Amino acid sequence: MNRRSLILYGVGGSLVGAARAEPAHSGVTDTEITLGMSAAFSGPSRGLGIELYRGASAYFQHVNDQGGIRGRRIAIKTYDDGYQPDPSVNNTMTLMLEDEVFLLFGYVGTPTVTRVLPMLKKFQDRNIYLFFPFTGAQPQREPPYGDFAFNLRASYRQETAGLVDNFVSIGRKRIAVFYQADAYGRSGWAGVRAALKRHGERIAGEATYRRGSKFTGTMRRQVEILEAAEPDAVICIGAYAACAAFARDAVDHGLRVPIANLSFVGSENLLKLLTEGREDSRQYTYLLVNSQVVPSYESISVAAVQEYRDFMQRYDPEAPTELVQEAYAPFAHSFVSLEGFLDAKLMVEILRRLGDSPSREALPRAVFSIKDYDLGIGERVSFGPDRRQGLQRVYYTVVDEGRFVPLDDWGERFA
Amino acid sequence: MKLSDIKVQKLFQKTLFGVLSLFGIIGLSTSILLIYTVNDYLSAEYEDNSKDIAKTIADSSVDILLNRDLAALQSLIDQFVEIQGISYIYIADETGEFLAHTFVPGIPAEILADDPTSTETVERKIDGMGHFVEVGRPILAGVAGTVRLGMDTGVIALKVQRAIGRQLYLVCIIFAVGVAAALWFVKLAANPLRDVLAYAVALARNEEKEVSSRGEVLERKDEAGQLARLFLYFSRGESRDDEAPPGPAGPTA
Repeated sequence: MNRRSLILYGVGGSLVGAARAEPAHSGVTDTEITLGMSAAFSGPSRGLGIELYRGASAYFQHVNDQGGIRGRRIAIKTYDDGYQPDPSVNNTMTLMLEDEVFLLFGYVGTPTVTRVLPMLKKFQDRNIYLFFPFTGAQPQREPPYGDFAFNLRASYRQETAGLVDNFVSIGRKRIAVFYQADAYGRSGWAGVRAALKRHGERIAGEATYRRGSKFTGTMRRQVEILEAAEPDAVICIGAYAACAAFARDAVDHGLRVPIANLSFVGSENLLKLLTEGREDSRQYTYLLVNSQVVPSYESISVAAVQEYRDFMQRYDPEAPTELVQEAYAPFAHSFVSLEGFLDAKLMVEILRRLGDSPSREALPRAVFSIKDYDLGIGERVSFGPDRRQGLQRVYYTVVDEGRFVPLDDWGERFA
Repeated sequence: MKLSDIKVQKLFQKTLFGVLSLFGIIGLSTSILLIYTVNDYLSAEYEDNSKDIAKTIADSSVDILLNRDLAALQSLIDQFVEIQGISYIYIADETGEFLAHTFVPGIPAEILADDPTSTETVERKIDGMGHFVEVGRPILAGVAGTVRLGMDTGVIALKVQRAIGRQLYLVCIIFAVGVAAALWFVKLAANPLRDVLAYAVALARNEEKEVSSRGEVLERKDEAGQLARLFLYFSRGESRDDEAPPGPAGPTA
């Protein structure tokens, strides 16, 4: 736990009442509720884990400053998995069996989460649930593992369907896919395939890259493969380092078609790689279009966005310093940290609904009691036994004047 | 030439050459046999294992495919491709459309040109990747698709090389010990011969002092002693024809 975290949790703890009943379950004491998080805090995708954590921390810190939840401060036990499945599985074992956290929160990535889900089923007698993973893949939304996870964000199916529908609507029907060679990439690929099928089309071409590829690496071969398919647009399903490398090499190689990215990419990190130190910042970014699952952090008229901006400025949350070994300059605002903020906000509401004696068994009931809940972004949140995803809306953004802004007219931009 | 310089080098060299040749033949023949045996065994072993893995994937894929959860399917094959020797896996549906694979940066042209629903075992060379033995297994009797798995023959070659390397290492050690032993035995055999030769030369030169100083060789019970006594008999035979030649363990002079 870093210094800032100690201050954060110390304030909440000081307001706790003197006498309390014995905690009903692991991960909950008289003074604290501990959440477990395994995410990428190292490697080429570390920006995702760091920003998600920072956004969530801003809201938890605010809650702790207000006295916590019924006197209990919220603590996050964090581990780094580097966006790799095996460390993620090991971290989950530690969180469940040694740290005995109350629940799992804010995991990052499809290849990691898809490997963790069977563990939740294996230890289902412990009633450990995964809340709001930063992935839009299907396995945590459907049987046989859907019962062990709750999702807030829209799915990759919804994101890819929206991208395909919009491209097709402006006559760009030959869509190629550049994707990460793992479960995440396959999930997005399947979404594009299904969406194109509805329009009577097929994927025009496909190329893959290995998870963990860096921006300094080359994607020329992938560009050549997709160029041969003569696409009207390319949808990328990857992380920011590889997708930025692809966009750079595509433009350099003369593949000038719209290049779309999903929300997972980490838009600000992508933009930074493509613009930093370049005279013409539009060179690699004009044809980008990124789908998002939260509103733009520039939309200050949205109540939750304003709240997010205030808390980020007030608390300026840091990443867990013991986990972040590589240099990283955090963003003042980002789509990923805004998502983390909204995840934390809904998490707090659910924990509040657990009452004075929080128990893991009561978690599903508390989640399903969320009906038409106003998270402050305009879209109401509802959960139910057959509805394990809170938000459905997808937003589309393009780069203007060095930042991502909402895309209003697809035809005007890309026709 | 001095008597002390007398050596039996030619006999020595021939013996050494014989030992070297023998070991060379043994080493070469065992290595060839080993290459054939290990390669054959490992190839069969890998192919069987690959078929087992392909069957496991095929059996595990049925529910996933029927649920159309391709992310879970990809996660499944990603775990199997971590096994040593398994280079790639791909799954096609019953129409031949690729549903999941592990290729980077794309599906090779050699595989795209082939029938992905086949379950036959084929040897394949893929540009930029290497040589593979590819096995296939049907999913739900083929009505749900096919899983195919490529095994890197380079891994087998590497294992064969390692096995042969270990064998050659052992042969080299045996060879070195054998040569050392041969040298020692030849030396044991050569020393008496050298003494006989020196004794015979001394007799021939009529060097009485040298003959008497090397008289020990006449005491030997072996062939060297017999030979020395024979030389002495013949050298004296010219002057004393009435004496009989010495027997196998006859009297000394």
